[in-house]
Amino acid sequence: MGNVGSGYSRRAKMKKLVSLAFAAGIAMVGASAVQAISEAEIKKDIEEFQGFFLKRFPGLTLEDFSDGVNALPQYAHRRANWEINMEFPQFEPEMDKAAEEWAAPFQNGKSLADCDLAPAQNYPVFDAASGDLRTVEGDINACLKANGEEVIKNVKRGKMARLVAHYKSQFNGEKMAVDYSDPGAQAWYEKGRQFYWAKRGQLNFSCADCHVHNSGNSARGDVLSAGLGHGVGFPVWRTKWQVAGKPWGTIHRRYGGCNNQVRADGFKAQGEEYKALEFYESVMNTGVPLKVPSLRQ
Amino acid sequence: MKRRVFVKGSLAASTLAVAAGAGLLSPTRVLAAAWPENAFGQRPEADALNAFFGTSEVTESDQVALKAPLQAENGAVVPIKVMTTLPNVESIAVVVEKNPAPFTTGLEVMGGGAGAMYSARIKMGQTSPVKCYVKSGGKVYMTAQEIKVTVGGCGG
Amino acid sequence: MSTKMKIKKSADGGYEVMVLAKHPMETGLRKDSKTGEKIPAHFIKTMEFSLNGTAVAQADLGTGVSTNPLISVTLADAKPGDTVGVNWVDNKGESDSAEAAVK
Repeated sequence: MGNVGSGYSRRAKMKKLVSLAFAAGIAMVGASAVQAISEAEIKKDIEEFQGFFLKRFPGLTLEDFSDGVNALPQYAHRRANWEINMEFPQFEPEMDKAAEEWAAPFQNGKSLADCDLAPAQNYPVFDAASGDLRTVEGDINACLKANGEEVIKNVKRGKMARLVAHYKSQFNGEKMAVDYSDPGAQAWYEKGRQFYWAKRGQLNFSCADCHVHNSGNSARGDVLSAGLGHGVGFPVWRTKWQVAGKPWGTIHRRYGGCNNQVRADGFKAQGEEYKALEFYESVMNTGVPLKVPSLRQ
Repeated sequence: MKRRVFVKGSLAASTLAVAAGAGLLSPTRVLAAAWPENAFGQRPEADALNAFFGTSEVTESDQVALKAPLQAENGAVVPIKVMTTLPNVESIAVVVEKNPAPFTTGLEVMGGGAGAMYSARIKMGQTSPVKCYVKSGGKVYMTAQEIKVTVGGCGG
Repeated sequence: MSTKMKIKKSADGGYEVMVLAKHPMETGLRKDSKTGEKIPAHFIKTMEFSLNGTAVAQADLGTGVSTNPLISVTLADAKPGDTVGVNWVDNKGESDSAEAAVK
């Protein structure tokens, strides 16, 4: 099982330690528990990661990866179905509903439109004051709370997902540009990177095993998507989830599903592990345009 | 099996005037048809066709075309499009041979130049021929295409 | 806003009318994951298309039609300025409608 580029061998020793720490449920906020990583090293990671996929799928541009698995040649025979459905996607009525909800007034007369959110392509945003990562989901709930409104309990599906989809869709076409210049952000990046490359579950797979080394190959009757572009289309409307009555899902919902699929325990949506993972993936997506929401099988 | 009611026969002149004013004699105005419950549900294809068209006699025709993906992404949402160059289309039907209830959807034409195309998103439980039928001039014409399904779409 | 209609010019003259209806289209076979009970069938039965107030076509739907179905027809006689309407009724007697102008 090869690693992407030579830069990873020097951090291999840390990988095992970090996996054990996660397994023991130890919170790892801050740079103290992991080896510090520099902005220059992160830039190199991005080059290596993106270069790997551009080489593995020749003919695809960075922009093509916004379409997820649909961009891969191995999916060509099923792409036609997706293209036809995208002419008038079945999530449109829900998106209209989300637009109405976004403008609906709170008790105090304000609305979600008044919330102070960052441009969608900048998320997750590192907050130096708290040391925490801000996600769109988290910012929506923070804004609701600040305005005396009830927060949304289920942050993976339904109303939260369509609100996030509505907000992000206004930035479609913007290229992912997450800021990792602060050492605190770099620590979150490293946590996420360790998670991505660490093996887990009874099937003992890492995210990379499927989405880097086996991207484009088939598993469980489906084609494995490329890691490059993961999340630029999220929240997602999945036909598979639609059949069970819960079509919408945020990226953290999908992370949980993937962990379950390798028979690993999932982590809490909007918890540290998935926020770190989302941060890592979003940095790897630097330059890939947003295309929200996505319609997937 | 007649499921539409046309105003026929002789009427007194004054009745005709009332009928015309009420739009009852307008060629594009017919009563909406009842939902063809004897076509839907778990039953043999021939029975469903009889219930919908009044006949199960069909002829293959290259004037009926089915545009659909060769492979469904997920059997729950398969987009199919029936197109025809046959004149005076009366009705169209879509049948999924291997679904437990093969008769999936139909279109009844009353006017407006409708009938040249009918498209719907349908559910398929497994790989199956999808057959589309078009009734024109009292006869039923058809074409079929197999759609591969790897992820069944019936849930349950 | 649970029934959306889009109208676009058709390649062979006339117009294509696409209707996306927000509807669960439950087959009646699916079990509720929490209670184990079958969720009752709930589906659109008829969808009537009209041109300037006159019914021109009726689509008959069943449980084999997808959730949030997209139904499309072409109307060769439609022209700019016309109004296309759609009205659907489901097995519970619920209904919805939409209309749009041909541009």
